[in-house]
Amino acid sequence: MILGRFLAAAFLAAATCGAAVAQDARRGAELAAPCMQCHGANGRSQMETIPSLAGQPADFITIQMILLREGLRQAPAMAPFAANLPDRDIEDLAAYFAALPPGPPDDRRPSDPALLAAAQALVGPRHCATCHVADYGGRNQIPRIAAQREEYLVAAMTQYRDGTRAGPDTQMNGAVVGLSDADIAALAHFLAQKP
Amino acid sequence: MTIRRLLLGAAAMLIAGPALAQAPAPAPVPGWAIGRPEGSTLAPHAPRLTVTPLDQVPVSSIRLPPGFQAEVYAHGMPGVRAIAEGPNGTLFAGTRGIGRVYAITRNADGTTRTRIFAQGLTQPSGLVMVGNSLYVFAVNRVLRYDNVEANLDSPAAPVDMTAAFALPTEQEHGGNHHWKFATLGPDGRIYTNVGAPCNVCEFDRDRFALLVSFNPDGSDRRIEARGVRNSVGMAHHPVTRELWATNHGRDWIGDDSPEDSLLRVRRSAEDFGFPMCLGTWADPEHNRGRACSEFSQPAALLGGHVAALGMRFYTGTMFPEQYRNQVFIARRGSWNRNRLSGYDVVVAKLDAQGNVTGVEDFMTGLRDDANQRFLDRPAEVHVLRDGSMLVSGEQMGAIYRITYRQ
Repeated sequence: MILGRFLAAAFLAAATCGAAVAQDARRGAELAAPCMQCHGANGRSQMETIPSLAGQPADFITIQMILLREGLRQAPAMAPFAANLPDRDIEDLAAYFAALPPGPPDDRRPSDPALLAAAQALVGPRHCATCHVADYGGRNQIPRIAAQREEYLVAAMTQYRDGTRAGPDTQMNGAVVGLSDADIAALAHFLAQKP
Repeated sequence: MTIRRLLLGAAAMLIAGPALAQAPAPAPVPGWAIGRPEGSTLAPHAPRLTVTPLDQVPVSSIRLPPGFQAEVYAHGMPGVRAIAEGPNGTLFAGTRGIGRVYAITRNADGTTRTRIFAQGLTQPSGLVMVGNSLYVFAVNRVLRYDNVEANLDSPAAPVDMTAAFALPTEQEHGGNHHWKFATLGPDGRIYTNVGAPCNVCEFDRDRFALLVSFNPDGSDRRIEARGVRNSVGMAHHPVTRELWATNHGRDWIGDDSPEDSLLRVRRSAEDFGFPMCLGTWADPEHNRGRACSEFSQPAALLGGHVAALGMRFYTGTMFPEQYRNQVFIARRGSWNRNRLSGYDVVVAKLDAQGNVTGVEDFMTGLRDDANQRFLDRPAEVHVLRDGSMLVSGEQMGAIYRITYRQ
């Protein structure tokens, strides 16, 4: 068990932060270079299974990074980047990515009417827009899912359904309970096609 | 630490099998959303899992009755909730989303030192000291750290008591109300909650929505109260030794009712009525034609959706005599309500017979009504040996200390 290391780093960050604004997007931009390798030069991922971060709510990015750092969310590719990352770095990175304009990946495939129709029958009963809001742009701890990479959305929903991922609460696990693989594929396509 | 595998909501209720034999065909909505009206955009508030710098801890906004003062006792502990105190005065504090247990010690100069004592746990929100051992309840997982205060910097591996307690798993809860509160009774037994596996539904009433107690080795499980939707705070009356507990009302059926409540358990295994009733409030879908007067009634109503959490009887001598053996209750604050309520600490005043004569504001100022925002979320109260009172602020990761001077 690692003792005190995270807290020491956090205290240092708090002390150096002083009275300044807690989230500093400009500082986040300087820290973001390693992130861009996979998440895209403008925060829009061009890499399969890697999510876009541009325009994600800052709270969402912050909370997910904390879950990754604490070993409460498993994403092996992220582990070395999240380990021991101070709170202030996380908050500044989140502020930076939140301020980038969102958009789809360059290689987004054409829309498939059959999948869109299947998804239309699911989004209402599943109340997706209740938390993710009407344009699926997210809010607070709830992510932007509009124009996210389709195969990433499939993977994320599958993990929530199968219980291999949870947020700071289990709302999303409940939201996708009982969906078939075909249901998830349709929802992912529908959301990926959103502006 | 691997994420516990979850199979949630309706699917989990199917899998639970015989224990849930009376359950109807599962609806295609998750347990927490049952009853949610079309079009509602209410959702739980985002937690803050990063350190709040001391100058942003809102201690100066706290309002108290005349003569009382608030100070920051400890800070830099995201998600801090339940507090348990060791024989040598070490405070242990549990969390939910960030998976940590903190240890807080006092330096010679009166300042505090905070450590991360354990981490990577799933919702380690239930803490109880039994002698020199700290028990951590993380959903159904129960870990015992022996001789804990002597090993704060390098704790030995805990004894895993999970099998002995055999609490329902997160899957069996359908991901609902699976986090724990724990306290030690005057009889030496550990008291904890097993919440309802949904917002509201039919479930095995011998298995969920209970207050239960155990011997410290996990044996001799006893149902102390049933029909308790979810309690995240309990304490025993210092004189009568009766068990008291907070209880949360159900969601999605109105801003003001049913109300959260304070329960006084007078008889072992008495039934408080959920899901048929919450107090005198009959559930429109789950009442099954039962009169609510058949069930035990709350000692006090605490308001709709206020999220009454930690509660303790005031047993110190620092506060004025009128507070002796009165119940301090942390109300973490609402989300399932159009306007915010709670975000404070109230006092339930008891008469000599233990009847609640009123519920009064005590610690306020953390709810900003004009802007519909909150500054912190009180989750636990704890009386220190000097008679001062600690209040944990989950949102800002701080513990406040309340003192009184004439």
